[in-house]
Amino acid sequence: MWRGLWTLAARAARGPPRACARRGSGAPGSGATIFALSSGQGRCALAVIRTSGPASAHALRSLTAPRSLPPARRASLRLLRDPRSGEPLDRALVLWLPGPQSFTGEDCAEFHVHGGPAVVSGVLQALGRVPGLRPAEAGEFTRRAFAHGKLTLTEVEGLGDLIHAETEAQRRQALRQLEGELGQLCRGWAETLTQALAHVEAYIDFGEDDHFEEGVLEQADRAVRALEGALGAHLRDARRGQRLRSGAHVVVAGPPNAGKSSLVNLLSRKPVSIVSPEPGTTRDVLETPVDLAGFPALLSDTAGLREGAGPVEQEGVRRARERLEQADLILAVLDASDLASAASRDFLDTVVAPRAAQSPGGSGQRLLLVLNKSDLLPAAGPEPRPGLPPHLLLSCLTGAGLDRLLEALKAELAAVCGDPATGPPLLTRARHQHHLQGCLDALGRYKGTSDLALAAEALRVARGHLSRLAGGGGTEEILDVIFRDFCVGK
Amino acid sequence: MLSLRGCGRWVAASLAKQHLPWAQFSADSAAPTPHFDVVVIGGGHAGTEAAAAAARCGSRTLLLTHRVDTIGQMSCNPSFGGIGKGHLMREVDALDGLCSRICDQSGVHYKVLNRRKGPAVWGLRAQIDRKLYKQNMQKEILNTPLLTVQEGAVEDLILSEPEPEHPGKCRVSGVVLVDGSTVYADSVILTTGTFLRGTVVIGLEMHPAGRLGDQPSIGLAQTLEKLGFAVGRLKTGTPPRIAKESINFSILNKQTPDDPPKPFSFINETVWIKPEDQLPCYMTHTNPKVDEIVLENLHLNSHVKETTRGPRYCPSIESKVLRFPNRLHQVWLEPEGLDSDLIYPQGLSVTLPAELQEKMIACIRGLEKAKMIQPGYGVQYDYLDPRQISPSLETHLVQRLFFAGQINGTTGYEEAAAQGVIAGINASLRVSRKPPFVVSRTEGYIGVLIDDLTTLGTSEPYRMFTSRVEFRLSLRPDNADSRLTFRGYEEAGCVSQQRYERACWMKSSLEEGISVLKSIEFSSYKWKQLIPEASISITKSHPVSALDVLKHEEVDMESLAKVVPDLFKKYTQCRELAERLKIEAAYESVVFHQLQEIKEVQRDETLQLPKDLDYLTIKDVSLSQEVREKLHFSRPQTIGAASRIPGVTPAAIVNLLRFVKTTQQRQATVNELPQTD
Repeated sequence: MWRGLWTLAARAARGPPRACARRGSGAPGSGATIFALSSGQGRCALAVIRTSGPASAHALRSLTAPRSLPPARRASLRLLRDPRSGEPLDRALVLWLPGPQSFTGEDCAEFHVHGGPAVVSGVLQALGRVPGLRPAEAGEFTRRAFAHGKLTLTEVEGLGDLIHAETEAQRRQALRQLEGELGQLCRGWAETLTQALAHVEAYIDFGEDDHFEEGVLEQADRAVRALEGALGAHLRDARRGQRLRSGAHVVVAGPPNAGKSSLVNLLSRKPVSIVSPEPGTTRDVLETPVDLAGFPALLSDTAGLREGAGPVEQEGVRRARERLEQADLILAVLDASDLASAASRDFLDTVVAPRAAQSPGGSGQRLLLVLNKSDLLPAAGPEPRPGLPPHLLLSCLTGAGLDRLLEALKAELAAVCGDPATGPPLLTRARHQHHLQGCLDALGRYKGTSDLALAAEALRVARGHLSRLAGGGGTEEILDVIFRDFCVGK
Repeated sequence: MLSLRGCGRWVAASLAKQHLPWAQFSADSAAPTPHFDVVVIGGGHAGTEAAAAAARCGSRTLLLTHRVDTIGQMSCNPSFGGIGKGHLMREVDALDGLCSRICDQSGVHYKVLNRRKGPAVWGLRAQIDRKLYKQNMQKEILNTPLLTVQEGAVEDLILSEPEPEHPGKCRVSGVVLVDGSTVYADSVILTTGTFLRGTVVIGLEMHPAGRLGDQPSIGLAQTLEKLGFAVGRLKTGTPPRIAKESINFSILNKQTPDDPPKPFSFINETVWIKPEDQLPCYMTHTNPKVDEIVLENLHLNSHVKETTRGPRYCPSIESKVLRFPNRLHQVWLEPEGLDSDLIYPQGLSVTLPAELQEKMIACIRGLEKAKMIQPGYGVQYDYLDPRQISPSLETHLVQRLFFAGQINGTTGYEEAAAQGVIAGINASLRVSRKPPFVVSRTEGYIGVLIDDLTTLGTSEPYRMFTSRVEFRLSLRPDNADSRLTFRGYEEAGCVSQQRYERACWMKSSLEEGISVLKSIEFSSYKWKQLIPEASISITKSHPVSALDVLKHEEVDMESLAKVVPDLFKKYTQCRELAERLKIEAAYESVVFHQLQEIKEVQRDETLQLPKDLDYLTIKDVSLSQEVREKLHFSRPQTIGAASRIPGVTPAAIVNLLRFVKTTQQRQATVNELPQTD
């Protein structure tokens, strides 16, 4: 009876479930077979990509054609090719694990490929193009295992936390992605499609209720045609635009003049940020890819959080807060000699306290509290301030405390990077492509029918795909547009 | 004592059942207190369906209404059906409900809406003769076996100790009438419409009434509030009525009814009133002068000013003018009946003072000399947050108490009727200790309606739209019988033998027809030669089945019967069968692809949550306070319903599942232990 968990799988990444929001599970007959990068993103020689579901055998055969399915549960060396272009991707170890004797209890396949991003990305995209396959949602492999009785109840104990954590990680991931141009495009498309769908729905539900302005349908048709063109062009475009940076997102934040930029320079071993004794020196978000304790990370220096500065700095503060939301790990920096100031206390209350209150190993963002300028404290003095959450003392000036900070960073990053959910910008891209293609296919079906109920269904499916990338898509949203745009009622 | 109206079978019914101890103690020894299986309060669209459904299921049922002569009254529009609403009527009919059959006897102008938009969204609709509908409904209700009708206003509920095996803080065991007399009942259904603290509003005047000229129910509203039901307030309205002979129809657009008319009921092949005897409708429009009158007199219009929530859509002319200024709005002039001299101006719902209504009407084309017979008015009324009822429509708080219709925050005759049938069936099943009859979102518009209400609640009068329905292509007006009639017959016993047999015949004919259609295959070239008018692409090399050919817009069963008469001729004998085969073919592939999704939803629906779970206090499950409160209030019955409640996270759902599974295992272990003592 636990098969009901299927549906939950698809809901996890969408945040709060909406009534009536149908999943745009995409191509007919799909929705059952999922794939994901299962290894973490620390530097490694091999990456493992897994699939689970009835189309696993088909996926394996598609990528290893013309060879037949390898013997069950035996590692075999195969040349992987893109099933559409025939282009070789990698020479990899593959495993065929027919259910029910597999991790999830379903038919599974594993691809052990070389760890470079190009290879991993190529294989993920190739899998996304196999009919019936779609990228896995947060925790979906584990949930399927649970659903098939492959996990004991004790093993499942942490499942809720895991799903929550992965949902959160994907949310942050999506936030990052939606920040750039691509995100804007996506939101624009979703808006256009919502409007077109709402107008078609209005025409169905109320077209005879009140005299509709001429051309509601023609307008929707035009919008769909334009959208089709834009999506097609985007999918054909070889430029990838904003590079998806891999690695944990580490954000350095704190009140002004706490020494955030000094810490960034110290960690990156180069003068990334200008430092000065003047508060408010850093006004924008400065990013630098670094190697922290052996893990790839993207280090962001942000403007000091304070109210009432000039407009440029205010924008910097806004961006800093936005970046905080997207961080995997926050390095919260305070001036150890200035803990009683309003800015410090405010930062402790609004940024540090809510995150420190979370259960360790729980879902949310990780945070390390660093008290800088320890050189200004009286030697062997008492605690800087009683009641502080766990923290580290550091002097960027003398380097005292740096070793302990690096040790703590290593532990935190190991936790962040070891979790496949937090670092799959490659998978994010594969998911992106999968849903855009699904949307485009559905728009093609819209044009091909004269039955308005069928046409609306095609738009619903298309909207479902885009809502996976840009959010929204519930019935209420459609009704809101209808009642906003049309005067309808009995 | 109750006044005896209609038929007097209740005396026998009450004598037959006197076994409950409290009934013996409380009853006056001279006149035994009447006792029914099911008591329905209210004789509107929900109440009549509920009472008739309970009686069809075999329960001795009492229908209590203020006035027997208002049973079957259409208080607002003189029409039934429409887009989405017509779907509901087909489903009510599939469960052998009344309104579709009564409409077929009383319709004076049939029109299928959305004819050109695809059969999944066809909206069966008809203008109904108010008088005929009322007469036919009363005849049906007063002649329903096991159903007794009484006049009387209910003031209070009789409550007793709860049944320990069910959730709820008490149990309803009867009702107290205004005159102090009591009736005992095993289940009680409340269908009080707009009567709970109803207030009628015209201009700045407000007076208590459930409907113009009828008393509101105040005592009952207080009882419900005291019991702890969360109450909200909604408003609705109705247009003025105009004298037919005072309208200049000659200058207006005329709409003639469909010929042949499409009946609402599966068991009717034709309707009672022939198309040539049916009445036309006329259309006119508002104009800037109407806008002016509305806008200049907003200060005289307390219904519009009130903060009570109206719908986002625009039922009143005031809301149309305010939200979409400088537009012409259409007004349909609808007949109220064959021998009625009244016209219902649909689209002109208004609450201005009466003299201003007259002024407004007079500036509309065709209505220049119109005589207003009754002013339009607004109604404000209490509704009970429908998250307090389960999908069987039984309340969480009070066992065996059911709510149906406008009391749950819906609007419309059809929405009320749909809930009425479900409440009636379930009240009866509850008495006979059978499992509840619940329609899933994947099975019908009724399921979507009730699931939306019970999991999401509503803050505006809830109206059915086809856009609310995820699986709209599968839940069509043509196939409501195959979705619900069999279940109604087997699980509830609410379906007559005749209807059941007809549904069986239709089902097997459709299956046979589809398999024959699939079995006939020609090359596309040959098909093109046989049916040249069809846009068949001849590039396909593989053979094409007759089913695929039937998918083309230009092809129907008639055209197939012409080319392969020996196989297909017989499917054109029955018009409904031929049409349904065509519809099945059109949606076949999309519906097939949706099956996976439907199954996923249904799997979640089979994961039952324990009914007596105390979400606020259970310890072994990690849930946030917010989620606990939401679950506590809505009391979802399945994992599927729980996951649709806004704010209930996927993580919370998994934790719930784990909790339920652990509990089940523990239970199983306990049961296996050898019994000592």
